[in-house]
Amino acid sequence: MAAGESVVRVEDLRKQFGTLEVLRGVHLNVARGEVLCIIGPSGSGKSTLLRCIAYLEEDFGGRIYLEGDLLGRVERNGRMERVKGAALRRVQSKVGMVFQQFNLWPHRSALGNIIESLVIVKKLPRLEAEKIADELLAKVGLSDKREEFPSRLSGGQQQRVAIARALAMRPQIMLFDEVTSALDPELVNEVLHVMKQLAEEGMTMLVVTHEMGFASKVADRVVFMDEGVIVEEGPPEKVLKSPSERRTREFLSLVAHEEF
Amino acid sequence: MYDWSFNVVWEFRMIYLHGALITVGLSLYSLVFSMALGLFVGIARQSKHKALSYPASWYVEVLRDTPLLVQIVWIFYCFPILTAYVTPGDEGIKLTAFWSCVLAISIQMSAYVAEIFRAGIVSIGKGQVDAAKVLGMSYAHVMRRIVLPQAFRRMLPPLVNNFADILKLTSLASVIGVYELLHSVDNVIMNNFRPLEMYTVLALVYFVLIFPVAFGARRAEVYFARRL
Repeated sequence: MAAGESVVRVEDLRKQFGTLEVLRGVHLNVARGEVLCIIGPSGSGKSTLLRCIAYLEEDFGGRIYLEGDLLGRVERNGRMERVKGAALRRVQSKVGMVFQQFNLWPHRSALGNIIESLVIVKKLPRLEAEKIADELLAKVGLSDKREEFPSRLSGGQQQRVAIARALAMRPQIMLFDEVTSALDPELVNEVLHVMKQLAEEGMTMLVVTHEMGFASKVADRVVFMDEGVIVEEGPPEKVLKSPSERRTREFLSLVAHEEF
Repeated sequence: MYDWSFNVVWEFRMIYLHGALITVGLSLYSLVFSMALGLFVGIARQSKHKALSYPASWYVEVLRDTPLLVQIVWIFYCFPILTAYVTPGDEGIKLTAFWSCVLAISIQMSAYVAEIFRAGIVSIGKGQVDAAKVLGMSYAHVMRRIVLPQAFRRMLPPLVNNFADILKLTSLASVIGVYELLHSVDNVIMNNFRPLEMYTVLALVYFVLIFPVAFGARRAEVYFARRL
């Protein structure tokens, strides 16, 4: 595969909730191996953008391509039609997602959370699924928590299990939706550490975050969104340190207390 | 002073036993059918397709806002006559009193079961469903593997309570002549004129049947409250 090949391409993405326009024509391209951080005030449409790419929001205008395949739609005689079932899931399965609230299944152990989709969706034999899960648990540093249920894990540990669970399906791109926002401050770094490690391994990542330090150190590119559009994008040192747009400057002056 | 004589009750012990068996039979059939129907209606109410969710909502509303006793007599007397119009011949679908009653209780209770299922399902966070969807699980898998196993733990105590209600409601079957506990005992009283003893023991028999169920419901509640 050629370097710089597009994993996600978003064209004129629009999304409304009732009369509220949340996304108003977003264009975005994420190349293989790229780490892209999305920053912006709450309500700017960052999370909705990720949810559309994960096809958790099905009702959107515009197009999303994953490795060149149109997500959730098929074009017939110049008209867009929805697709469902296996044809949808084949494209959707290229995406892995991690959520702010972890969203682990409380009735399954750490291991159970990770092997569930391997056994149920990929139909792997249980032993094989467990082998994959054990490797992923080791990767996120939680081999000793294999049998623990989510309620017995700290927030940081739960989020690391959630990352392992998403990785189990071997996604082509990982979406991170404010994954450290619900964590106690002392637990943030263990999660960021795992994400940094993933980035170094070449994983394509789309990260909605308020961690400006992470964005500045790990991101290849930073996108600033406001009111449903991309206002500014570029390398982190440019967007975070000398933004050219007024709205970006205003936002950064409100959030950036730390030196990065 | 009334001359209490519980010997007459002992004399008719087999009547109580037989009545109790019919009561339990009515209840068990009603339990199974109301659960099956209620699960279906509860899921339909949750559907995003209005063609499913609207009728399901009305089904629940109509059933909850009419008395079970009326439903029982309606199914027993009106149902065969109405179905005579749509079935070949002029017989209609005639149900025995027993099955009329099972049908009425099942339908009535399915509305409550549907509400219990619905409450159980909505209590499972939407985020868990989102996570499952992104991992490629189909709707059926999400329900079967993620939502229902958790929802069931929350639904079990109210469902057991429901069963206790069903046991009590079967006494209404006496109105259309099913020889369950109440009707059997009524029948004996007409011959031996011993209502005080007979009814007192009748109440006791109901208590013996229902108490373990109600007790079980409370224990289940405590057990699952600790675990979740």
